[in-house]
Amino acid sequence: MKLATSMTVNRLSEVVWEIPATEKLGMLVPARIYGTEKILGEMDEGVFEQVTNVACLPGIQRYAVCMPDGHWGYGFPIGGVAAFDVRHGIIAPGGVGYDINCGMRLIRTDLTLADVKPRLEALMTKLFQAVPAGVGSQGFVKLNRQTFQAVMRKGARWCVDQGYGWESDLTYTEEGGCLKEADPDCISEQAYQRGTSQLGTLGSGNHYLEVQVVHRDRIYDHHVAEQLGIHGRDQIVIMVHCGSRGFGHQVGTDYLRRFEQAAKGSGLVVKDRQLTCAPFQSREGQDYFSAMNCAANAAFANRQVIAHQIREAFCSIFKQSSESLGMRQVYDVAHNIAKVERYEEGLLLVHRKGATRAFGPGSADVPEPFQRVGQPVICGGSMETGSYLLVGTSRADTESFGSTMHGAGRTMSRAQAKRTVRGAQLQRDMAQRGILVKAVSMAGLAEEAGIAYKNISDVVESVETAGITKKVAELLPIGNIKG
Amino acid sequence: MSTGDIILLSVVGDVGKTYRFLEEIALADVGFVATGDSVSELFVAAASAVIEAMVNPVSVGTNWTREVRLSQEQVDELLFDWLNTIVFLKDAEAVVFRDVQALVSYDSDANLWHLSATLIGDHIDANRQELRTDVKAVTKHLYEVKEKEGTWSAHVVVDV
Repeated sequence: MKLATSMTVNRLSEVVWEIPATEKLGMLVPARIYGTEKILGEMDEGVFEQVTNVACLPGIQRYAVCMPDGHWGYGFPIGGVAAFDVRHGIIAPGGVGYDINCGMRLIRTDLTLADVKPRLEALMTKLFQAVPAGVGSQGFVKLNRQTFQAVMRKGARWCVDQGYGWESDLTYTEEGGCLKEADPDCISEQAYQRGTSQLGTLGSGNHYLEVQVVHRDRIYDHHVAEQLGIHGRDQIVIMVHCGSRGFGHQVGTDYLRRFEQAAKGSGLVVKDRQLTCAPFQSREGQDYFSAMNCAANAAFANRQVIAHQIREAFCSIFKQSSESLGMRQVYDVAHNIAKVERYEEGLLLVHRKGATRAFGPGSADVPEPFQRVGQPVICGGSMETGSYLLVGTSRADTESFGSTMHGAGRTMSRAQAKRTVRGAQLQRDMAQRGILVKAVSMAGLAEEAGIAYKNISDVVESVETAGITKKVAELLPIGNIKG
Repeated sequence: MSTGDIILLSVVGDVGKTYRFLEEIALADVGFVATGDSVSELFVAAASAVIEAMVNPVSVGTNWTREVRLSQEQVDELLFDWLNTIVFLKDAEAVVFRDVQALVSYDSDANLWHLSATLIGDHIDANRQELRTDVKAVTKHLYEVKEKEGTWSAHVVVDV
């Protein structure tokens, strides 16, 4: 098999590969990559370089991991998972990403394709108006300094208290939508200014809001699906992918600069400036963790307000309450975050950058309704092909630091996608295939064409075969909003 | 690593500065190399690349202007701050940009690089402007600023 690296890559199982710690000077642990032979063969050289760079960071435990949707990022590869000893290890903004708590939210409905199809154009127009998208988009929620601090501390809870959502939404959100170690004193003035007006907005890039139908022939586990509120029969669901917007981006920028300055006299050398890090127990490390949790809470709040707006749009189009439409949240889960979790090595700071928490059945951190089936994992594919609902497994808990994939993963750069595809033509082609797209930017739309991504089914098969996640259902797009 | 085609600036009023977007690098992000015959030209070219990633500048009006003054000991850090300032203003002021002017000087006594720049643009309006991608941040991944035989260049990856 030809790979995009000259490093030795040993096969550990059908879908698990390992680069020994001897392959690069400074590696403290091996690097592991999940994927079928086909997926590994498609991985770009950046993945191999970056995952082995991560394996050099102080305090790393067991192995650095890259999921099958992995690709070249900055610092960590996208799809990267790395766990560090909380006493002696580091924290790295490049292991979280600038879009802190970028994540996925899925809302179920009792509607069917037959209910929605005749009103799809009106519905998508309404959603496009209700959820601002695109460069610098601003939301309807006006925050002042005090209320913004409340968002930073309380996350999605603040939104529900204001009437933006259901109490049960919090049950069905990772950490109840509120990370406790958030301290607004660690937030810069610039971060305040960037974030004040953006609550309830999608942004652009690969962020989207999608109306989907459950694939009638591809519910893989009917029992688990029922537990998650998915009954099939052409059922309509809504998926949201976005994060902490300009606020989180500024937190990442602020602390990258601060970590670089602090590292100058520390002797801490990294192989990529974007891997700049600080000891987790240092003042800088703790301040970043507190600021990152503020941004993570803002992201939970952002998706909460968007969920509220989605429900309002559906109510307006279908002339029923969101309760009578059965618009319960399935789950909301982060895929860009660092969290303290307990594993056999002890308390570890697990960085997930483009990787999803995937706790198995019985885990104390899985909400009670999912105790017997495992934590829902929401994986967004390209807007042309479809997405997956999965659940975490006990094997993920023991093997992959309770983590799995997050999406399809790119195989083509944005520039190349734009040269290959015209946004307006793509929009027309997708409409002919029954997928209605509303986009702020035609160039942005072209960048997100299906050909720019791996086949998500191949990616999902990799984690299913590895046993770190279990397939529940496949979801097909019928309407998409992009920035 | 392969590279894309050279793209001439379409930022109104500026000539002679170039940048090219890079392919097959940080696939989900945007990489570019900007060049200039002087540091000031480099700063305009790099700013123009960031601006062009966000919007087609010729679709933007001129109702908003901001003077920017920055200083740093290292020229690469000054460029990093400059590009991040553009990204910051896009969100904080909800603006996109049409034109940019920049003058960079070095004070050897104080050992400082100084930037004096002007950004011209307008408030974001998706109905009138050709918006593109929301740039989140300027990264330090493969980040480099250098001078060779009188030509300044910068290698930059921005997160989008």
